[in-house]
Amino acid sequence: MSTLDLIGIGKSYGATEVLRSIDISLASGEFLVLLGASGCGKSTLLNVIAGLLSPTTGEIRIDGKRVNEVHPKDRDVAMVFQSYALYPNLSVRRNIGFGLEMRGVPRARRDEAVARVARMLQIDGLLDRKPAELSGGQRQRVAIGRALVREPKIFLFDEPLSNLDAKLRMEMRAEIKHLHRLLATTVVYVTHDQIEAMTLATRIAVMNNGAIEQIGSPEDIYRRPATVFVASFVGAPPMNLIEATWDGRGLHLDGSGQTLALPAPDAAPRPVTLGVRPEDLRLADPADELAIAATVDFAELTGPDRIVFSRLAGVPILASLPPHSHVTADEQVRLTFSKRDMHLFDRGSGKRIDIPLRPVA
Amino acid sequence: MEQRSLGFSVFLYASALLLAVLILAPFAWLFIMSISSTTDLISKPLRWWPAQADWSRYRVLTDLTPNTHGAALMSALKNSVLVAAIATLAALAVSVPTGWALSRSRAVNWSLGLVIGTYMLPPVALAVPLYMGLAALDLLNTRFGLAVVYLTILAPFTAWLLKSGFDPIPRDIELAAAIDGARLDQTLRILILPLAAPVIGTAALFAYLLAWDEFFYALLFTSDQRAKTVTVAIADLAGGRVADYGLIATAGVIAALPPVLFGLLMQRTLISGLTTGSVKG
Repeated sequence: MSTLDLIGIGKSYGATEVLRSIDISLASGEFLVLLGASGCGKSTLLNVIAGLLSPTTGEIRIDGKRVNEVHPKDRDVAMVFQSYALYPNLSVRRNIGFGLEMRGVPRARRDEAVARVARMLQIDGLLDRKPAELSGGQRQRVAIGRALVREPKIFLFDEPLSNLDAKLRMEMRAEIKHLHRLLATTVVYVTHDQIEAMTLATRIAVMNNGAIEQIGSPEDIYRRPATVFVASFVGAPPMNLIEATWDGRGLHLDGSGQTLALPAPDAAPRPVTLGVRPEDLRLADPADELAIAATVDFAELTGPDRIVFSRLAGVPILASLPPHSHVTADEQVRLTFSKRDMHLFDRGSGKRIDIPLRPVA
Repeated sequence: MEQRSLGFSVFLYASALLLAVLILAPFAWLFIMSISSTTDLISKPLRWWPAQADWSRYRVLTDLTPNTHGAALMSALKNSVLVAAIATLAALAVSVPTGWALSRSRAVNWSLGLVIGTYMLPPVALAVPLYMGLAALDLLNTRFGLAVVYLTILAPFTAWLLKSGFDPIPRDIELAAAIDGARLDQTLRILILPLAAPVIGTAALFAYLLAWDEFFYALLFTSDQRAKTVTVAIADLAGGRVADYGLIATAGVIAALPPVLFGLLMQRTLISGLTTGSVKG
């Protein structure tokens, strides 16, 4: 049960800035997911928290105490590595108990703790095996067990599921969620998988280029993306982004000559990006005013949905429609959406523009 | 299994046989010489197969009566075993930390190149400074002095070998151990050294053989039975007025035995593949 504060964390190698002024404050028991593409600095940030890397600037506080100068072993954090990093020459029992062994916990108490964790993770039959004799999923459990057994202040996970196959990944995801509910320990979890992020996190920090683009609840990140980057990164299939010019008369979609009746508060034209998620689009009735006319390329049935790939002046528009929807290639469709479900971003800064939702006429 | 033509199979086996003969022939001839009578060895044309096996030279060379060939060879064997062992242990003690450091920090890799560069120097270039150094330290004609000289030859080699042995051990293991609270020495002792055991064994084997076979420095820096090694003792056998080739061959066979035994012993550690299972499968 610990809090974690990152204050103005920066990390650079020479002139290359890998992290820039990261500010995060975690309450006890939170599950923070650092989400981003590879190379965005999320693993670096995790290593900084673990103490494996020193930040160039800023301060790390655990339970309010500065730990910048504290060695990893004294920070009381546990980390699950993407590669598992099990000790190949030691048995599973010793792998899990290694942290306790190094801290001088007596043999009997150590064995007891290992047995308890092994039961929890259902690997109690494997304690005498070597890591090489385990399957991928079992290794993953041992790696988690090694972190659990120490009852650390903070758990750090570095893409722990990326080496597992899809089915196992789903199982382990559920298990990690279950463990977190059970133990209520503060967690920082790095992933590039948005489904993992959405399902596990109490808060998500979307990272890009060494900085945090947005930090908020999964709901926030999905429903109210703060930047174009977040909007395009989170969601599958991804959000449709259409460049447009916004003025007092309405939203003019660039290149297509279409205008949406959505006048800006200011008369001066402003370059914006309109964002609509595929699942927020539906086939329009003639009465719908807020609609985009696009040409269908093809449609794919995924099972629950029919994904329609269409084009608006060269820009691909994806719509996730009910499976019974009928569209044919080269057909002109009108796709509509609710004002509540649309997003506008300033094209210069990439930042979200809050749309004044006037009473529906 | 892939399809192979008969001709290719013949070629393959012939090549293997040729290689085996090339490797074993000198040793076989050495052994045959050691049990041939002197008349057989000096007759013309040479008799390749002895009329009668003559084991007497083995008795001569294992005779420990002072001032005999046997006493000289046996004390030389003892010197060789000790010098090579001290030099090998010292080389490992120096090169395990060095190799680890070199493997883990790319920043100091240039120094390895520099060290390997000294290998390009011919040994004779260093003979005089080494001689003067040993003389100044009063270590001429001592086993320890010779072992120190060998250390300078072995350490760079083993450090380089061990570095390549440490390289494939995932860095994550050390990071995990650090987070788990292991001190540097614990990480090295409990995790890294056992994982590197095969390559450490290989390094020890090669270092031992290198020291065992060394002749040039041993000849220069030793002068009597207190420190003379087996390579020098064998040369001494050829130094008299009459060279008994059979005796030299017998000494050669005896001198070859300890490294062979050591090799057989170390073979067990040379198994690799210990790191499988640490990281993803």
